[in-house]
Amino acid sequence: MELNAKQLDAMRELGNIGASHAATSLSTMLMCQIDMTVPEAMVVDIADIGEYFGDEISALVVFEINGEINPGGYVVLHMPQSSAIRLTNTMLGTTDENRDFNEMDESALLEVGNIMVSQFLDATATLLGIVMLPSPPALAIDMAHAAFANVVSMVTGDINEIILFRTELTSTVNDIASTIVMLPYENTLGRILELLDKLVDLKE
Amino acid sequence: MDGKAQAEKGVNIGIGEYRMDSSLLTSIGLGSCVAVVIHDNRKNVGAVAHVMLPDSNGRNDRPGKFADTAVPTLYNLLIDGGSNKRDLIAKIAGGSSMFKQFKGNLDIGQRNVEAVKEALTKVHVVLVAEDVGGTCGRSIIYNPSESATVHVRRADGTCTDI
Repeated sequence: MELNAKQLDAMRELGNIGASHAATSLSTMLMCQIDMTVPEAMVVDIADIGEYFGDEISALVVFEINGEINPGGYVVLHMPQSSAIRLTNTMLGTTDENRDFNEMDESALLEVGNIMVSQFLDATATLLGIVMLPSPPALAIDMAHAAFANVVSMVTGDINEIILFRTELTSTVNDIASTIVMLPYENTLGRILELLDKLVDLKE
Repeated sequence: MDGKAQAEKGVNIGIGEYRMDSSLLTSIGLGSCVAVVIHDNRKNVGAVAHVMLPDSNGRNDRPGKFADTAVPTLYNLLIDGGSNKRDLIAKIAGGSSMFKQFKGNLDIGQRNVEAVKEALTKVHVVLVAEDVGGTCGRSIIYNPSESATVHVRRADGTCTDI
């Protein structure tokens, strides 16, 4: 998979728009300011995924991309355990940080994921002029690499690289870090790039 | 990373990679992926592959990625390195299933395990131990120079030696 500088730039912009909408929804939910890193669009070899996702226990909320491009791929919201617990504490009004996940946490995380990823997909799809809808979410509380690789195995067959489409959202008030990753199938990525090229041409 | 830190931490085998060594090897965060370990009991060397998918469908650009190509690749590495067929044993870990509800998933974990077992049968290497299936992730640590033991650490905090 070869992406030129211009294409990577366009993908970064797409991620930027999606993530800022997700950040706004998170900010509304937590009633605090959310900071966002400059989005990255990276082509990562599957053997090096470990450099981005380790074996620390994390919460991963996973969605299938449905809609006009079906099956389109997956979107993953990743949050390290400590961040996820702090987030649910904020939402549920609890304070204990040194605890395991319970059913309330899981349901809260699914809901946060749902709201953030719906916003993310809706914003990116609107820009592209297509419809992209998230499937019902699935939650894994597991080693980040294990759960993430499981999703990767669902999109990679012929390909040895994935496009990691990543933005970190942080809240300094609550010390919460999260990452949104989009894992499009190769043909979905092709379609997205086609649509982006059209947009860029229209502007010129 | 200097040599000492490298030796303490071991070499991590990423998705689709494989390696033969006599010192510490690790494979972290196995989900539906399967770590295949083939150990030489006499020479105290071993080879590990991090298998992601069951079937290569004839592709051979990355042999460690698929069960049907990874197993013969490890086997040939050991035999070419001077191992005897009768000294080889195999152990596997991984193959869990986390996202059953997605249609793209198609039991990849279980199919990986089955494909690895079939490939081991083909090269006549006996599978002596396994820690597979379930819904939780695993990491493995294996030091062939010490023993054939594979330490498996699960995401739920439990550890087992196989």
